[in-house]
Amino acid sequence: MFGAGAMTNSIPEIRDTELMFVIGSNTTEAHPIIAMEMKKAVHRGAKLIVADPRGIWLSDVADLHLQLKPGTDVALLNGMLHVILHEGLYDADFVAKHTEGLEALMASTVDTTPEWAEEITSVPADSIRQAARMYATTKKAGIYYTLGITEHTHGTDNVYGLANLVAITGHLGVKSAGLNPLRGQNNVQGANDAGASPIYYPGYQRVDNPEAQARFEAGWGVPLSPDPGLDLNIMMKQMGKSIRGLYVMGEDIVLSEPNANRVEEGMNALDFVVVQDIFLNETCRFADVILPAACFAEKDGVFTNSDRRVQRVRKAVNAPGEARADWEIICDISRACGYPMPWYNDPGEVYAEMAALTDQFAGITHERIAAEGGLQWPCTSPDHPGTPTLHEGAPIIGKIGLQPTTYRSSAELPDELYPLLLSTGRTLYHYNSATQTRRAEGANELQPVNFIMMHRRDAKMRGLRHGDAATVRSRRGEIVAKVDVSAKMKSGCVWMPLHFAEANTNRLTNDAGDTTTNTAEYKVCAVTVEAVQSS
Amino acid sequence: MSESIKLTIDGQSVQISEGQTVLDGARKLGIEVPTLCQDDRVDNAGCCRMCLVEIDGQRRLQPSCAFKATEGMNVQTASNKVEKHRKMLLSFYLADHAIDVDGLPAERGVGNTLRQQAQTYGTGPTLPAIHAPRVARADNNPYIHFDPAACVLCGLCTRYCDEVEAVSAISLAGRGAATTIATADQIGLLESSCELCGGCIAVCPTGAMTEKPSLENVSAKAEQVRSTCNFCGVGCQLDLHVEDDKVVRVTSPPPGTTVNDGNLCVKGRFSYEFIHHKDRLTTPLIRNEAGQLVPTSWSNAIQVAARGLMGVRDKHGTDALGFVSSSRCTGEENYLMQKLSRAAFGTNNCHQCAAT
Repeated sequence: MFGAGAMTNSIPEIRDTELMFVIGSNTTEAHPIIAMEMKKAVHRGAKLIVADPRGIWLSDVADLHLQLKPGTDVALLNGMLHVILHEGLYDADFVAKHTEGLEALMASTVDTTPEWAEEITSVPADSIRQAARMYATTKKAGIYYTLGITEHTHGTDNVYGLANLVAITGHLGVKSAGLNPLRGQNNVQGANDAGASPIYYPGYQRVDNPEAQARFEAGWGVPLSPDPGLDLNIMMKQMGKSIRGLYVMGEDIVLSEPNANRVEEGMNALDFVVVQDIFLNETCRFADVILPAACFAEKDGVFTNSDRRVQRVRKAVNAPGEARADWEIICDISRACGYPMPWYNDPGEVYAEMAALTDQFAGITHERIAAEGGLQWPCTSPDHPGTPTLHEGAPIIGKIGLQPTTYRSSAELPDELYPLLLSTGRTLYHYNSATQTRRAEGANELQPVNFIMMHRRDAKMRGLRHGDAATVRSRRGEIVAKVDVSAKMKSGCVWMPLHFAEANTNRLTNDAGDTTTNTAEYKVCAVTVEAVQSS
Repeated sequence: MSESIKLTIDGQSVQISEGQTVLDGARKLGIEVPTLCQDDRVDNAGCCRMCLVEIDGQRRLQPSCAFKATEGMNVQTASNKVEKHRKMLLSFYLADHAIDVDGLPAERGVGNTLRQQAQTYGTGPTLPAIHAPRVARADNNPYIHFDPAACVLCGLCTRYCDEVEAVSAISLAGRGAATTIATADQIGLLESSCELCGGCIAVCPTGAMTEKPSLENVSAKAEQVRSTCNFCGVGCQLDLHVEDDKVVRVTSPPPGTTVNDGNLCVKGRFSYEFIHHKDRLTTPLIRNEAGQLVPTSWSNAIQVAARGLMGVRDKHGTDALGFVSSSRCTGEENYLMQKLSRAAFGTNNCHQCAAT
């Protein structure tokens, strides 16, 4: 909405903030070092508002914990917008200068009172009011969110809601404020930046923009397609239909994509699959060819972190056996397929080729990073210092279009057959499909098996005690997990991590996608839980 | 903040801001004042006494890390009195400390500030050994080892745990000569609020806190390679310690130099076993007619992969192919994967695992 898919501000700015609104982010577990900056800010006296369905570490030290029902964020945010707009707490100067669509937003929030929002979210109206007032009246107020906002069928609306809050309060282009999506993986930002996207070339240049197409056709010496491709969620659904072959690098799609049983069916229906990874993973069961890759410690290149900081990865040790760096393998495949990928001497030359085709990265080179440390894009020329805070002076998009949103319930809600609402996420000790952390003795000792966090009343009703094995079932599949009776849960909601191949939580999750981005609804589906029947 | 306070340290004049300490002034001048318990990430406690200096008008030596500078102050950091104090203090520390054959604090892999200081400033008289009744509870956590015999009770680890990691898992426990570092109720770290970030190891100036996995096998001469962590999106900078082509330890660059400010989490610091794990794929594999995966050469694997991809394209059209790139791989590799998809095959069916 502001013109760049990235944190507007920098991680080191957090320590000087006056207020943090953390929503859909269990920062202490998923981004521990950013959480340290937040703790430092709290230590200094900054206010903290946490919106999360679970009790989390940050909610323990928060001034306000808005414990909303999963999937009701739009209602919560519209409740807050109502307060700010209709109590006149918005930044009229900023709104007049830099936004358009205030009347429509006003009109769309007339009825979204805190009392209305309380009905839907179960967060007390007074808390919503208080949160809105605190946020609107503090100058250095930053919003921090992650997949708890985006992994919904209304994920785009959630982000619009947050962007509306930022825009009407003028918390943009200000140090220690802004709108800050915390990226889940080491190089999510960098992969998107580099054009691993069905609609963008590197640097967010659209494939259906003739100028961009011409630029890359000239750079690569071949005609290119102006038709947007399929995103990953659609690709998964089209396997065996329009998709007949896959080349998968560095992702265990069978474990990581939602509705795993259907993903497995689709994989079986493919004609040809290449998997390139560092370990045998679940997806390898369907592979025709498996190519052994080097891990991060065995190759050179760059990762781009959450705050758009391009930093070096350096080879420290040799890859085991015959394993090779992914960039070398892709080049060989390309040549064997008849496209003459240049004979790059090292990834620095690959980066230079990308930077020459992408204005935002034009000033970034491996040599500069070695000399100056990480560089934050936009960095448009060799003497450009990089950009820690975006939108200073004015939003880069020009006028921000305010986006009215309407609350819709999640795609699948609890009912009589599946009475509990399952939400999912990551823990501190493991990482995603956990092929790496489950090979660390310590992490495995701490969390050896999959578990399901639940309220004691929900457990008791089902005759379950802490530590019991339980069968968890959704419309799509079932798995067994250990019961973790926890005071952090609200009755009616359960929570499971995503790290365990032998009890894959994604056999349960719903692959319904966001209406704009197709990001799947990992955060809400309906399940039933019962004691494991001894046979 | 304006630099409104002018003071003199070792005869040199320096201007610093109100609220800054004598140590800040000394550092600004490049004067080395030894410290054990000082770290910019935590409040100054002034408890190790190594940083004491002589200040005109003060009857006693004062801790420079905690003593606020005032206008016109005259400080000496290396007077006879200060030097005598340092030697005596180091003698006291050594009387209650694990020492090696050279009579110096034992070296424990990565840096031992106390040892360096004993070498730099010398020690006073050899005092009779103090056999303090300090016990370390056997702890079954997988990562953090504590040896009370190498601890000077500077408390930096406990303050880091309180103020930076903010979990307050460890504290000074016990009384008098039996004082030690422990969890509040003498429970194991795994049962406590500890998140195993290992910050206590990183800040420990004597190596009393060490890493269990690399306790035995790390020498100080391991080569260090600066890189970026491969877990979450914070982008912490790491120093990979390498010996015999193996990563044997991971530490953070010094505080104040990178985005992580000297900090790491349990994953970044300790989850490196996977790099050299026996399960790593070491050779290309292809599926044979019987459906089994069998090893093959690189040239064959590349040919089979290329033929398979081109076969799908020729039979079903190029948009029947999907290219799944990875947010775990480098920027360059993602660039090449989308280039392969677009330039070699002419399809935009390229995405990556975490486009959220």
